[in-house]
Amino acid sequence: MLWVCLIRAIILNLNQPSHVNQSCKMIPTSLRRSLLFILLLLSVSSIFFASASGSVTLGWSEWLAAVQEPTSRHGELIWRLRLPRALAAWVVGSMLAMSGCLMQVLLRNPLADPYVLGVSGGAAFATLLGMVFGIAAGFLPWLAILGALVSILIVFGLARGTGPWSGTRLLLTGVVTASGWAALISLVLSLSPDNSLRGMLFWLMGDLSYATLPSWSLAVLGGSFILTLGLARSLNVLAMGETTARLLGEPTHRMLWLVYLLASVLTATAVSIAGSIGFVGLIVPHLMRLLVGSDHRILIPAATLFGGVFLVFSDTLARTVLSPQQLPVGVITALLGVPLFLLLLNRARLKGV
Amino acid sequence: MTSLACQSLDVSIAGKNICSRLDLELEPGQFWGLLGPNGIGKTTLLKCMAGLSPPDSGKVLLENQEIENLPRRVVARLLGMLQQHTVYVFDASVLETAMTGRHPHLAYWEREGPKDKQKALDAIRVVDLAGFETRSVTGLSGGEARRLAFASLIVQEPAILLLDEPTNHLDMKHQIRIMNQVKKQVTGEQRGAMIALHDVNLAARYCTHIVMLLGQGDWQAGPVAELLNRENLERLYQCPVEVVQTSGGRRFLPGS
Repeated sequence: MLWVCLIRAIILNLNQPSHVNQSCKMIPTSLRRSLLFILLLLSVSSIFFASASGSVTLGWSEWLAAVQEPTSRHGELIWRLRLPRALAAWVVGSMLAMSGCLMQVLLRNPLADPYVLGVSGGAAFATLLGMVFGIAAGFLPWLAILGALVSILIVFGLARGTGPWSGTRLLLTGVVTASGWAALISLVLSLSPDNSLRGMLFWLMGDLSYATLPSWSLAVLGGSFILTLGLARSLNVLAMGETTARLLGEPTHRMLWLVYLLASVLTATAVSIAGSIGFVGLIVPHLMRLLVGSDHRILIPAATLFGGVFLVFSDTLARTVLSPQQLPVGVITALLGVPLFLLLLNRARLKGV
Repeated sequence: MTSLACQSLDVSIAGKNICSRLDLELEPGQFWGLLGPNGIGKTTLLKCMAGLSPPDSGKVLLENQEIENLPRRVVARLLGMLQQHTVYVFDASVLETAMTGRHPHLAYWEREGPKDKQKALDAIRVVDLAGFETRSVTGLSGGEARRLAFASLIVQEPAILLLDEPTNHLDMKHQIRIMNQVKKQVTGEQRGAMIALHDVNLAARYCTHIVMLLGQGDWQAGPVAELLNRENLERLYQCPVEVVQTSGGRRFLPGS
């Protein structure tokens, strides 16, 4: 995990501006709106699809009958197991994608992801400690949030300094903090008894098997979404650099901390529900940027919707591909994400960057 | 009418004195040229005048109020600055980027209306980027990116324009085009402009006033006819200067 952090830092630093979408014309605005509609439809249908497939795959008529009878065997399966899990997957995916968009603006780097500043490391470490000491599962999300908060405060305190906002300084502080958490996590893992190791590893990789969706997380998602959408034009300006943003009337210090805080809260909530699911927060914003451009008024809703779709789809695969064996969803997102990401990078290089 | 004033302004960077007790007032209809050798602090002074960094002492007054105490949004409606470097990291279309100039004029949830779009389209035509509207900014050349940044500034419609070497990376035609446009803003719309330049002859041709940064905090400011002569330029750039009479007035060449 340590070297993963370091490699990520190197990639982030190597990344030169302007590596995407060199000369192609972008989708016209009217089409972008219909894309949002399509993504909305996809979201709903992906959740339905997830509730119908699994170890017992239901046909259309069976599914319909089961939905109408929540007490039947299939009805229970759908209402108590599959739908909550699919919904949790959708919410977590949306949060990660939104957080990814925000982090990319914050660090002015299209390759940043929600975990790069160590928020998830803090959350994961706190949760693992909780698991070791046998704290009730219901409290674990709170521990995760607490860990994330500690991490935010550390990075916030160290990166602030007195000078102007520096993305590089924040990035370095964050990456090193993340490495520190990774080391602590390895320490906890190596000291844990064998029988709890498997559960911990699954959780670390990102796992939705035991995920329950606390109702406050919906409020977090909804609230952040509305707030981010209200700030979307400011995000466009912030993405052009701090000085440009100030000259265009943004109180950048306040704005950037707000963006950081929003991204962190979203990440912490997502991690507390499902562990550190990788690549959603990187791939989804990246893909959506290629599709709709970088106007955050379109990008944020598009990424939020598609993040949900992507994770529901990945989780369904995780449940079914080796059924009855269940895989941690983080493995699937990485297996889908890595080739996709390399493809995008390679595409950018072919265009002569 | 909006004016920008420096009152006994002390600015320094990394212990280097850029200007001591600088007094000048940039009034509507005035076109100031900011001259000085490389690394003398032209950019730092402009940034200070834009309220981006605080002076060591003295005040920058925008409409008679200290610029540091004004909210950035208010400043942005009155004062715009073209930075020396323009780097676009994220994809956005040329039209979208030109339209960012409307940002300080719009409320948080407000979208750009047809009028805003028209202003952006006009500005894009002015900087000779018509036909590029849907192109991605990440694919622009250095000169094109510069002209687009200037278009955003026009769209912002500030009463005070600060321009940091706007003619960098530009060919002759586009240098003149940009300078003409700034002049049009100054005389036509009664705005005030200050422009950091290395081309003394562009200053001679367009500016009404000059401020020279001589190093060690020394400066000279005044109308162009009084300041732009051989002695001052030789002192400023520490190199011999030759004066040539042309149909457009005096021009300056490096001497030998």
